[in-house]
Amino acid sequence: MNIDQHDTFQGMIDESLAGVLSAEKEQSLREHLSSCTTCREYLSASNRVIAGLSGFSFEVNPTLNARVLAALRLQAEEGRGILARGTRTMRQHSVPFKNWAAFAVALSMSFVGSGLVYQIVERLAVPMHFVSAQVQAGVLVFWLLPSLCAALCLLAAPSENRGIA
Amino acid sequence: MESETQRIALGLRQGDVVVLETLVEQYQYRLVRYLVSLLGRRDGVDDFVQETWLRVLERGRSYDGHSRFEPWLFTVARNIALDAMRKRPMFSLDSNEADGIRSSPAFGEPSPYTLAARTQDAERLAHSLQTLEPVYREALVLRFQEDLSLQEISVIVGAPVSTVASRIYRGLATLRPQFEGDTA
Repeated sequence: MNIDQHDTFQGMIDESLAGVLSAEKEQSLREHLSSCTTCREYLSASNRVIAGLSGFSFEVNPTLNARVLAALRLQAEEGRGILARGTRTMRQHSVPFKNWAAFAVALSMSFVGSGLVYQIVERLAVPMHFVSAQVQAGVLVFWLLPSLCAALCLLAAPSENRGIA
Repeated sequence: MESETQRIALGLRQGDVVVLETLVEQYQYRLVRYLVSLLGRRDGVDDFVQETWLRVLERGRSYDGHSRFEPWLFTVARNIALDAMRKRPMFSLDSNEADGIRSSPAFGEPSPYTLAARTQDAERLAHSLQTLEPVYREALVLRFQEDLSLQEISVIVGAPVSTVASRIYRGLATLRPQFEGDTA
């Protein structure tokens, strides 16, 4: 038998050990092994390697399990604590409905009022020779922005319902 | 009836410490053995083991229970070990390696394989295993000690199945001369 044939079957032995050889090739390999001493020795040496790999027994630090379990319990407790604190913080920082309602009303009045104020100022501006851009800037700076700030203050205003633990 | 893997997945999703305790008892030795094969050293392994379990608690939701638990556990452990090896100078890192694994015992420290050999065949393999490329050693251990399929190993090491197969063949080829011509 030539070397190439041994190489082929020894490659099949590797594949068989790796678990990727097809059933047909397994059969072919078995037939070959029954008549080839060289490939049988190759298989035997491979099996010795695999058996040798199972001959190691690593010592596990006897305190390792206890250490790991303590760390797990601690982390689980901390996780639950963070979750509980997070929920409490969300409650503490939640804005009550009353404030949202006040904010919504103030916001609407701010925009509606801005429209009215703009129309009035625009009429007054004509005899005073103000251009449109100046009127818009004036309404923005002296009406819209202050009214928006006032609306936001309502949102942030303290409420009787705040601070529930 | 729910399968074992689904029970584990449910426990991990709920952060159930009792389930984790059972897993620690069941897989601790295998986790240690895998990390030793990955790192080629014994010191530092305990820290990685602890970090692995904490990561399992933290990210247990990502285990879906459709596949075996061990490959997922080893993947977590591998990522932690590789991250640490990249950050810590105590672990030498050879950037020429395909996936960055390059490790050995500290100077003067005995090989973990020499210390752990319990049979004559293991004693003969100890030195060769210690000097074997870690990626080959890892593939051999996962295939022949952990009894994982090539597909499972492929997921753990993040390499194609063909690469995993090649590593197993090369690992066997490196260790086989220890027993060639030996009729025992």
